[in-house]
Amino acid sequence: MTLSSNPDRPRVDARQKVLGEALFAADQRVDNLLHAMTVPASIAKGQIRTIDAAAALEVPGVVRVMTFDDFADIQTTPASRGAYGQPGKGYQPMTGPDIVHRGEPVALVLAETLEAAIEGAESVSVEYDEAVEFTALMEQDGAEEASEVFTRLGHGDAEGAFAGAAHKVDVTYWHPQQHHNPIELISTTALFSEGKLRIFEGTQWSSALAGGLAGMIGLEPQSVRASSPYVGGGFGQKNGIQEQSALVVRAATIMGRPVKLVMPRGQLFHTASYRPRSLHHVRLAADTDGKLAAGLYRTEQQNSRYDGYNPLFGETPPRMYGYPNWAGEDRVIRVDTQTPGHQRAPHEHPSSYATECALDELAHELGMDPVELRLANDTDTDPITGKPYSSRHLAECLRRGARMIDWGRRRQEPGTLRAENGHRIGLGVACGNYKASMSPAIATLRLQANGVCRISLSGHEMGQGLRSVIAAELIEVLGVDPAKLDIRIGDTGLAPQMLTAGSWGTASVAPAARAAALKLRANLVELIGRDDFEGPAHVQLAKTRRPMLKVEIDTVPLGEGPQAIDNLRRGLPVTTGPEYADFMAFSWIAHFAEVHVEPSTGRVRTRRFASVIDCGRVMNRRTTESQVKGGVVWAIGATLREIGETDPRYGRVLNNDLAEYLVPVNADIDWIDVDVIDEPDTRLNLSGVKGAGEVAMVGAAAAIANAVFNATGKRIRHLPIRIEDLL
Amino acid sequence: MRAFSYSRPRTPEAAVAAFTDAGAGARYIAGGTTLFDLMKLNVEQPNHLVDVSELHGTDLIETSGDVLRFGAGARMADIADDETIKREYPLLAESLWRAASQQLRNMASVGGNLLQRTRCPYFRNGAGGVYPCNKRDPGTGCAAIDGLDRGQAVLGTSDACTAVSPGDWPVALTALDADIVVLGPQGNRTIPIADFYLLPQDTPDREFSLEPGELVIEIRVPKTAAGRASTYHKVRDRESYAFALAAAAVALRIEGGQVRQAHIALGGVATKPWRSREAEAALRGRAPTRENALAAGRAALAGAKAGRHNGFKIHLAANTIADAISIAAERSAS
Repeated sequence: MTLSSNPDRPRVDARQKVLGEALFAADQRVDNLLHAMTVPASIAKGQIRTIDAAAALEVPGVVRVMTFDDFADIQTTPASRGAYGQPGKGYQPMTGPDIVHRGEPVALVLAETLEAAIEGAESVSVEYDEAVEFTALMEQDGAEEASEVFTRLGHGDAEGAFAGAAHKVDVTYWHPQQHHNPIELISTTALFSEGKLRIFEGTQWSSALAGGLAGMIGLEPQSVRASSPYVGGGFGQKNGIQEQSALVVRAATIMGRPVKLVMPRGQLFHTASYRPRSLHHVRLAADTDGKLAAGLYRTEQQNSRYDGYNPLFGETPPRMYGYPNWAGEDRVIRVDTQTPGHQRAPHEHPSSYATECALDELAHELGMDPVELRLANDTDTDPITGKPYSSRHLAECLRRGARMIDWGRRRQEPGTLRAENGHRIGLGVACGNYKASMSPAIATLRLQANGVCRISLSGHEMGQGLRSVIAAELIEVLGVDPAKLDIRIGDTGLAPQMLTAGSWGTASVAPAARAAALKLRANLVELIGRDDFEGPAHVQLAKTRRPMLKVEIDTVPLGEGPQAIDNLRRGLPVTTGPEYADFMAFSWIAHFAEVHVEPSTGRVRTRRFASVIDCGRVMNRRTTESQVKGGVVWAIGATLREIGETDPRYGRVLNNDLAEYLVPVNADIDWIDVDVIDEPDTRLNLSGVKGAGEVAMVGAAAAIANAVFNATGKRIRHLPIRIEDLL
Repeated sequence: MRAFSYSRPRTPEAAVAAFTDAGAGARYIAGGTTLFDLMKLNVEQPNHLVDVSELHGTDLIETSGDVLRFGAGARMADIADDETIKREYPLLAESLWRAASQQLRNMASVGGNLLQRTRCPYFRNGAGGVYPCNKRDPGTGCAAIDGLDRGQAVLGTSDACTAVSPGDWPVALTALDADIVVLGPQGNRTIPIADFYLLPQDTPDREFSLEPGELVIEIRVPKTAAGRASTYHKVRDRESYAFALAAAAVALRIEGGQVRQAHIALGGVATKPWRSREAEAALRGRAPTRENALAAGRAALAGAKAGRHNGFKIHLAANTIADAISIAAERSAS
């Protein structure tokens, strides 16, 4: 079958979600449940001296107060929070008296009701031996630069070319700490059922949750089943085992009863991952025609003392344009804080912010239109490896986006355009890229003669619309009725579950669903003894008088072997890209922003946004556009609103709630216009898919910051850009 | 959050009696939009709540006489939507609908709104010894003054406290010389709004001039010809659901192109709703030109004192007053 362009279709689970029928992990009804609540550490560094639980135990309903004595035998492994797969890294709180970051759990209160658990937790009094000194921020004296240098990419003589170039910029950009704040809080529910430990947790990787927790608490991996039915916003914060996951599981083991913990939002600012603050030194040079001569990019990322969250800022910017010379390196600065982690477009959002703003500065220095500068440096090959790109329609993205935003009215001289009300109008452009990766997947597909179709496979539904992607392939290949489709994902009891992150969900799951559907169709064709058939497959199946047909399939991504499937089954990471044997593969995007700035107050409004994405074949136009709009909204927040403010004297996020951690509200968002290239990349996979969720946000912040410059003439080299910067 | 006892009397007199009976740890509760937050944060730990949300006759909205009368139990949303108020006193309506969210405005009472406590993060998020705070735990010190003070006040501050008075509605009422009618164990009294709020000085834990057990019953606003040419102009970090960085309540009576009467009050920058007689004097007798409006704005901030990160608020507030004067003056013309 040839690939067809997918029509606009509602999400297959839209109705259930709107009606609240889609049950998330913490919604599961569990009998005989104990509610747990954590007591957060009120110091940033030191040791627990005493824990007095007497008052907590007097709260009616409180059953038990657990301390590090109860959890001392939990092992910290490469699966633990903060390790990111690296032996010797990571940190499991409550396994001893040491405190390494503010807000980590120091006691776990178990009670018959949530209210009693909360009151109990507030009644526990803990005394500490507080460390005399600690360092909360990378700018402070006690910050320690790690000796290791990461992602040292380069080719040519960047320093030499920079020194000799006619036009250059040498600028430093700063990105703040930011927090995901998904609406679904992080929770763990653990119970024993039919001899198995069952865990419900909203996670992007249920296999690693099951396997990792088994390793940490000493259980056989096959005796643990983890389910992540829906994830209410993952965005990288739910990639792995959380600080409370092992504690809840162990508590259920000790008590012999199911235990549930929903971590309150105020605590999540300290226990869950977040985007770390980072510093970006960018040097770019070009000749007088605007041909790039060199790029030099050096970054620093704030990490905890113990984590394995590697900085990878330098991976994507050299792939944006045809840099003849490049030098980049990423460094880590360690302080006494909690472990940062992946947050949507984890390194690509900050790195594109810095480098695409720097490119705008270079365009200004050259007196050149920033769209023209980008087009002049378009390339079909990756400057670092010399390999061609599997597909790249960036120039078309730029041209189309420029038409959508009416770029022709932009003036090179900042502050020239005015609205009728006197507000300054600015237009900005920036581009983004994100690696096209894939994971192995396993699918079991069953079609009944009555039309009912069930598929169990790897992957997690995080609101990105993965179920709708799977449905699209089954509808196209088998003519399945979406109302008779039962899609089971995110459960290790049904199929091994891959980490669903890094924009590889659709590129991994769509080919698996398509391959399974094609195999079933081939089997059916053989059964009916014809070359092919038209119409729904189940009608043909009914004619054979068989009640059902079932196929199983493993899909191994390009360049991988059977070992990939073994690793998937063991909960180990298996992903490909961006480098493949014959090419490099990326998704691409061009963003255009129109901002209006009020002169008397410095208030910025993003009035219009135009984004054109090249993500390979579009599996569902509606969810793809939603992904891009969501990425743009997030970028508006990241550029103009969001910052986790840490007071270095306390090492605590001061604005740790949704009232004071400002994300955009409806009134902040105006018109966002999205278009898609929708050209299949069939060199990459059967479905022609690259990935949309991450690239959607890459470059969008720079487009806004560049528009602010165009409106005001002010280069604000930090985020968020706020009133005081423009007043 | 701790266990507490609860009563729901039907008359103001019974409410005051219930409060008095319960003793020092009692609190009145109406919409609950502030108190419940602070209870969850352990900033407030009442042992008894007197629910005044169903007191008879306290949801009055009366606009027909010489005085606008608002029962303390009237909901923010109801007054914000009142056609007479929107037409004759836009600053009152705007101060309400530019506050909080629709859901909160549906719950919150205009009497309770007068008593909203500061959003200073060191105050709210620091219970249990996390951050010192003279307002929450008198005598412990102030973490904000040498800390992340971007949101702190620049007017009316003391060495003990720089916390901003958070309200919008109280600022509009301050501009219009409202009276607050309260009922206490000793009976009724009327407090001019200028005397209702206290400066922090060295007792920032004392925010209101209410005596223990006193319950806000009614808000009275003398009618004024300046009401129509008025606005509540609010500048904040996002377009909705945020507290003011700077806000100005302005009401003008303009005759012959000159400002005859000016009411100007500030929010978001001061430790209490801030009436600026200086700005009013600077504008009175002059045309509401941009230049004169800016001069009035600057006059209001003449005594301002910047902290470490909030100096921009001085400039912002002056411009916000100027913008508000322009908006109000335009309404006078129409």
